Amino acid sequence: MEAYLAAMLVFAGIYALMALGLNVIWGLTGMVNLGLVGFFAVGAYASALLTKYWLWPMPLGWAAAGLAAALAGAVMAVIVARLRGDYLAIVTLGFAEVVRLVAANEVWLTNGTDGISGIPGPWRGAVSPQEFNLIFLGLVWTAVLVAFVLLARLSHAPFGRVLRAVREDEEVAAVAGKPVLWFKVRAFCLGAAVLGVAGALYAHYNAYIAPEGFAPLLTIYIVLALTAGGVGAMRGAVLGALLLLLLLEGTRFVAQEIPGVTPVQKAALREAIIAVSLILLLRFRPQGLIPERTRTRATP
Amino acid sequence: MTRFRITRRAALLGATGAVTTFAIGGRAFGQAAPVVFGALPPLSGAGGPYGPAMLRAIQGVVEEANAAGGIRGRPIRVVAEDDQTNPDAGVRGARKLIDVDRVTALMGTWASAVTTAVAPLCWENRIPLFTVSGADSITLLPHQGFIFRTQPNSRLQIATGADFLIRQGARRIFHLAAQSPFAQSSQEVLTEKFRAVQGGAVAGYIVYERDKTAFRSEVDQVLRARVDTVFLNGYLPDVTILLRELFRAGFEGRRFTPAYAVNQTTFQTLPNEVTNGVMTWQPSPDVNSGAFRRLQTRFGNVEVDPYSAQTHDHATLAILAAAQAGDASGVAIRDHVRRIASGSGEVVDNVTDGLRLINAGRAVNFDGASGPLDFDERGDIQGTKFRYERAENGRFVLMEIT
Repeated sequence: MEAYLAAMLVFAGIYALMALGLNVIWGLTGMVNLGLVGFFAVGAYASALLTKYWLWPMPLGWAAAGLAAALAGAVMAVIVARLRGDYLAIVTLGFAEVVRLVAANEVWLTNGTDGISGIPGPWRGAVSPQEFNLIFLGLVWTAVLVAFVLLARLSHAPFGRVLRAVREDEEVAAVAGKPVLWFKVRAFCLGAAVLGVAGALYAHYNAYIAPEGFAPLLTIYIVLALTAGGVGAMRGAVLGALLLLLLLEGTRFVAQEIPGVTPVQKAALREAIIAVSLILLLRFRPQGLIPERTRTRATP
Repeated sequence: MTRFRITRRAALLGATGAVTTFAIGGRAFGQAAPVVFGALPPLSGAGGPYGPAMLRAIQGVVEEANAAGGIRGRPIRVVAEDDQTNPDAGVRGARKLIDVDRVTALMGTWASAVTTAVAPLCWENRIPLFTVSGADSITLLPHQGFIFRTQPNSRLQIATGADFLIRQGARRIFHLAAQSPFAQSSQEVLTEKFRAVQGGAVAGYIVYERDKTAFRSEVDQVLRARVDTVFLNGYLPDVTILLRELFRAGFEGRRFTPAYAVNQTTFQTLPNEVTNGVMTWQPSPDVNSGAFRRLQTRFGNVEVDPYSAQTHDHATLAILAAAQAGDASGVAIRDHVRRIASGSGEVVDNVTDGLRLINAGRAVNFDGASGPLDFDERGDIQGTKFRYERAENGRFVLMEIT
């Protein structure tokens, strides 16, 4: 049981990192990004390839993952500079699918749909599986803490205020003399870098990545986690990720205890419980569990 | 006011949920007696059509074994989780089965990506993984003997298909392959096989993008190569188009394709004159075996798919291996699978007879619904039967099972 809880908290930490990354792009800057799993995949592949085939040390691999994803984010931000709302959502969704298809077809680089297995993990093999779990648990949540503190500070700094201004009204921000595109590019880079690092950690924890693992389902999960936690607030992102995992995993045990339910019904029931909980949450608390607190509405 | 009430209620609900979660988890530790096996079939996602039957086959075997007294008096329990045909969900499901339910064997993973993702967890926790996934790479993992695969790998499938074509008289063959993990390895096997026969050659090889809607240039190249056989190594949509275009271009040689690339939909889409003579092949369960017939009866005389036949064998192998070892730990099961799957013991085709003989101290050799179940040193299946069919007037006619 302890090993299971530790493993699930590792997953929760990775989801929390992803939610934090998305929060910079979507929550603060207001750019809908349904391609986050694409950046996650870029990070995962970058670190996996560098540490497995070029034998880079793992911390360097993770840094490279962040950098590669940030670069992809910058390119993406320039491409979608003039798009907003639904159009932006579709283009970013397309980006993630392109990354997945490239990973599936460029066999020489990514080993195609067979995926990359045997990705090294810190002290994997030298310690027992449970110790490895605990090491990774510490690692992932340290990363979450660092990302959380930095991003929370950033969102209250002048930089964060400009991002919120861009989110509320681009023209007003531009008229106030802010270089909107430059701010958007930087926000995209920053968010993508966090997503990339999350991808690297995922790859090294699971020891295996394949294109199928980067399907849009994961994007939907993280978007829902952020919505549930509270878009815009960094604490909301972390809470939402924890809540998402509690829903994903807790439903296993709840559905199992209902008498007379077959495993097939249980699988369907789980998905129904997850869907209904999120619908209820959005119906009764659309601002999320921890709404963003800004001074926008305060009296002067 | 309203908002306050809802928050409190939500908090209460969440807390109750969390507490129940732990309470339920704790109960699994209370009972040490039963032997617990984990099933991880795809109950939703792309494998959703297969998973439920695969699970039913496992449960059927376990019920039968429990009725026969279990593993040396210990009852057997199956805990199933849905892998959602997704590696991420598969890993979380496997974690739960291994760490919470303490299963000593995992069975029934379907998608290759799920199997590859789950495999390290199995060998690190020293429990065997029985799978139906076909990717060559799976048994090449450093799995220390913990992986048993009942599906022939793609190299074996292509080699068997090539032998069949050569028996049919094919000498000059054209290989048209969709972009996939097995295109390149198929080509290597074909070249090797055709080089070995007098006058044999793979006269052409093209890898095409499967989402295309026209294949004129590919078909032109097939015609130019003057081959007697074309091997359409693709999927349903692209093979359908290729068959039509080959017919229009007047190609008269053999057309050979995997069974999953031509089915009833093809017959509805294409006129019979186009499909007549197309040959297909697929790994076949041993339909004449006692084990297969019993499974068919249990399923209510409906068609049994190859995957359910295989998971039926997974459960039987795990149970008999544990009984033979007198120990239901993962390592004991791994070490005894080969002893009960092959060898000179008395041949049995069901778990009840197997348990009876093992309890009487006799050696057994289990022949399953999917085949005779002989594993090589990498955990790959040997000696699977293959089924060859030819399309005739909108239906398939059996040519041979070998």
